[in-house]
Amino acid sequence: MKKLNRRHFLFCSAAYLGSAATAEAFWPLSITKSAVSATSDIRGKVFKGDAPKKMWKWSHEGFLYKKLDNNKVRCGICPNHCMLSPGDRSVCRSKVNMDGILYTLTYGNPCSVNIDPIEKKPLFHFKPRTKAFSIATTGCNFRCLNCQNWEISQAKPHEVRHHELLPADVINAVLQNDTPSIAYTYSEPITFFEYMLDTARLARESGVHNLLISNGYINRKPLLELCKVLDGANVNLKSLSDDIYRKLNGGRLQPVLNTFKTLHEQGVHFEMTNLVVPGYVDDPDMVKKMCRWILENLGPNYPLHFLRFFPKYRLDRLPPTPLSTLIRFRQLAMDEGIRYVYVGNASYREGNNTYCHHCKKLLIERLGYIVPTYNLDGERCKYCRTVIPGRWT
Amino acid sequence: MKKKTERAVTRVVIATGISSVVTQLLIIREFLAQFLGNEFIIALILFNWLFLGGLGTILAHWITQRFWRPTINRLGWLSLLLAGLPAVQILAIRELRDVFFIHGTSVGFYPTLAYTFFTLAPYCLVLGFVLPYSLFVIRTESPDFTGTRIYITDNLGDVSGGALFSFALVYMVTPLQAALLANLPLLAATYLLFGLSSHRRILAILGTGITLAIILYCVFAEPSSLAPAEGKLVHYSESRYGRIEVHQDQEQSTLFIGGIPLFSSQNLVMAEETIHYPLAQVPQAKQILLISAQGGMLAQLHKYRPDAVDYAELDPQVAEVQFRFGLIKTIPGLNVVHQDGRAYLARSEKKYDAIIVNLSEPDTFQINRFFTDRFFALARRRLAPHGVLSFSMQGFDNYLAEPQRQKLSSIYNTVTQYFDHVLLLPGQKIIFLCSSRPIETDIPASLNRKGIHTAYISGYFYGNLTPERISRLNDMLDPATPPNRDDFPMLMRLMFSQWFAKFDTSPTGFILALTVLSAIYLLRITREEYVLFSTGCMVMGSEVLVIFAFQIFFGYIYLQIGLIVTVFLAGLLPGAWYGQRLRLHRNRALMLSDGLLIALIILLILALKYGADRLPVAFFLGFGFTVSLACGFQFPLALYLRGGDAPAVTQTFSADLMGAACGTLVTNVVLIPYFGIIWAAVALIGLKLSSLIVIATRHEKT
Repeated sequence: MKKLNRRHFLFCSAAYLGSAATAEAFWPLSITKSAVSATSDIRGKVFKGDAPKKMWKWSHEGFLYKKLDNNKVRCGICPNHCMLSPGDRSVCRSKVNMDGILYTLTYGNPCSVNIDPIEKKPLFHFKPRTKAFSIATTGCNFRCLNCQNWEISQAKPHEVRHHELLPADVINAVLQNDTPSIAYTYSEPITFFEYMLDTARLARESGVHNLLISNGYINRKPLLELCKVLDGANVNLKSLSDDIYRKLNGGRLQPVLNTFKTLHEQGVHFEMTNLVVPGYVDDPDMVKKMCRWILENLGPNYPLHFLRFFPKYRLDRLPPTPLSTLIRFRQLAMDEGIRYVYVGNASYREGNNTYCHHCKKLLIERLGYIVPTYNLDGERCKYCRTVIPGRWT
Repeated sequence: MKKKTERAVTRVVIATGISSVVTQLLIIREFLAQFLGNEFIIALILFNWLFLGGLGTILAHWITQRFWRPTINRLGWLSLLLAGLPAVQILAIRELRDVFFIHGTSVGFYPTLAYTFFTLAPYCLVLGFVLPYSLFVIRTESPDFTGTRIYITDNLGDVSGGALFSFALVYMVTPLQAALLANLPLLAATYLLFGLSSHRRILAILGTGITLAIILYCVFAEPSSLAPAEGKLVHYSESRYGRIEVHQDQEQSTLFIGGIPLFSSQNLVMAEETIHYPLAQVPQAKQILLISAQGGMLAQLHKYRPDAVDYAELDPQVAEVQFRFGLIKTIPGLNVVHQDGRAYLARSEKKYDAIIVNLSEPDTFQINRFFTDRFFALARRRLAPHGVLSFSMQGFDNYLAEPQRQKLSSIYNTVTQYFDHVLLLPGQKIIFLCSSRPIETDIPASLNRKGIHTAYISGYFYGNLTPERISRLNDMLDPATPPNRDDFPMLMRLMFSQWFAKFDTSPTGFILALTVLSAIYLLRITREEYVLFSTGCMVMGSEVLVIFAFQIFFGYIYLQIGLIVTVFLAGLLPGAWYGQRLRLHRNRALMLSDGLLIALIILLILALKYGADRLPVAFFLGFGFTVSLACGFQFPLALYLRGGDAPAVTQTFSADLMGAACGTLVTNVVLIPYFGIIWAAVALIGLKLSSLIVIATRHEKT
């Protein structure tokens, strides 16, 4: 083999190095990593043949479903519209088809029962400084990758320890503990709709308030029925992008927007929560779009909470949301015209306080769950007498 | 010419050995930065590596016999492929993750298995193929060239590669730069291999040059491949222990270790809970030991005006980065200890008012050591009579799931053996408070008395940590759950269960498939191959055991563990050399060496049981060397008894690799967590006994 001469070597080296050094400029995959994933829809599927062999004590016929041919049924509670053959289990894991009848398996068996400050829900414009008797069973019609209650929301009823608390027992417990409200919360109350509705009806009769803390993924008909006994709600608006709903939450956007419109139309007080997930839901343009939709369809009076994201469950390789993003979004939403915007899960005192939208004076100062300053007179600002939206008394 | 070919191929084999070990370490580190670094995943990656290598080796004979006659030219192209693939593969692992999985999410068992398998496959299959293929190339001119010589040559490269990475490259360069440096010898050796025939000069220049250009392209593309989607990368380094990154998003800095966001500069809740819950318990917080720390903790600690704060951080680079980016701030009396926290505590004579352990979940043997019986006993001895030990576990919001309940119960049952009062507080994480005195649950009241002001605890404690929530959590603990012991890490098993529950999956399918495949494989191999399979299994198994035990007694000391890994490779060389020289009674020698391996494991059991932390480091090094010596000794004997022809070579090579694959996986994720260290060792003895019986019932032909 002939030896390589120096000129040849230098020429070849320069050519190789030159071509390699351009690599960075042409590197194809380093932009918007959140957008490149091939997985674009994580919506749940019906669990075929997964129903228990026998019904248990906490089974109850479904509130709204349609019987189809061959003993199949279609659940009518949420937009998943699960079509179940006999022996199948719904996407939310709570409902099963037994011989052509749709049963819920979560009627009177909550797995989590707590008494929480109402501010924890968060509900800032609903009877501040009170407590809510909070209950949840298993199940969820979403598959949120950052769910903070995944141990119950992504579990089947028989997989958890639970209390026995039928609707009447809930009311007794509420009265015993002297809590003015019941919050249907933690997992997803829409999946225990029948239990929630019956409890809420009894609560209404006993003068106890009903609060829905939900993802808002519910059909209009059952929601209208619930609105008859509902006093307040906090509904999560996860994003204004259907793609993100499908990718991070396993749901769709439009039904959630419809829920907001229905609650508004039915006069139910509600507050909205938006979890600001870095890389997905931290786009100021989307926040502006979201605020405009709210203003056009619901008006400026419903409180909006921007919550700080922390790595949780399966979405645990993202950093927490920077505080300044939340502060900027709060300002942005207020500039767009939303009157009450809060910052949650973060140490930002101003973002927890309520200021009168008219005179801008401090109405409610919140230090965590402690309210050292309260300047409302009934439902009015103590200073300028403007009516502040919410349920205050 | 014959000698020239031998020399050229030998150079390629040594260079391949160097490249392959460096690549293995680089790829494992890359996977750990992209996926969860628990013991299961580490074992899975090693398993895939060895299994695919074994498969490549099996394919070598089959392919060369049917399609691909061994030639120098082809070996050259294969070697170029091997030199170019590591850099491409590292980038591919990094970039394809977000293509196959949703950005920002962790990935479950089966997707990880599939991803690691398929991304490793190209390199490992070629690597496994090249070793026997090199031998076949030499044998075209020197038919007497033995498989053992190739085995020895390859091991020489492996030992050099291991040492090069562990003691030099890991300190000096980035992964892609390491891939470049480790493959330069292979490129040079391949260039010289091509040079054996004069008419391939242009091809040699072109091939080597293009490969080099590809590697350089990857090196230049490395910064872009590391850029985060959120914020910007303001710090990146590869320490001995893993990847350290700091991402800056506006005013917030987040420290990522191994791809996981560990600490952020704005997590006030964690800082307050971790510091004030324990310090609210002690009358005076003067002497404090922090085992690892995170954003804002020292600022909270400073409110107590302590005399001395010893902050133990295993990785000096992590501490340095935290200070540099203001994640933690220097306070008066601070003493940074760059040591394994447990090892430091064992050597220290100080008495502390509080020991605050702030480590991640115990999903590796290394971290598990801070949640075991001996650690708690040690902490108790180093605490003042009124002192408090605190540590935390992953939190829960509204329901305590079963694996988590078992996990907490196991720790509770362990720590209550040493502390009279133990209380769990359900904060953002679950904080364990352990003391000889009763634990105060009204933390805000206690802080008020001390004049300590807080932002989070004062406003949220009474709403989030109600007496009902606290007592419900503590009442739910199961007294029947076994404790977590150093030699029987119950917690690891529970961590695996919790991890599988999180992804709603179970390893049963994988275990079944593996059992069936192993059974088929074992039924098809010869007695000699079984001996090598069991030896491969035992060597890897005992290496895992030795590293595990070493960490328990001496802490995680990088250089010494690097030395242990090296001696487990180093003995192979002299062993194989001596085995090759043996001319008589090979069957008996094989049996004797099996007996020696059994005796060595018995010795290990006795040493661990009765020597424990009194054992010198030299014992572990000597043990590793002797085990690998016996293993190396067996290879030429088994190969000779097996026949030494082409199929024998590929099958003995692959038996060794397959055994190593099984040994790694089974010891890491089954034997130690489910049976404890002693019974894991007994299982290895059982395996070797079976091999002894198999070889004893064989009749020697010569």
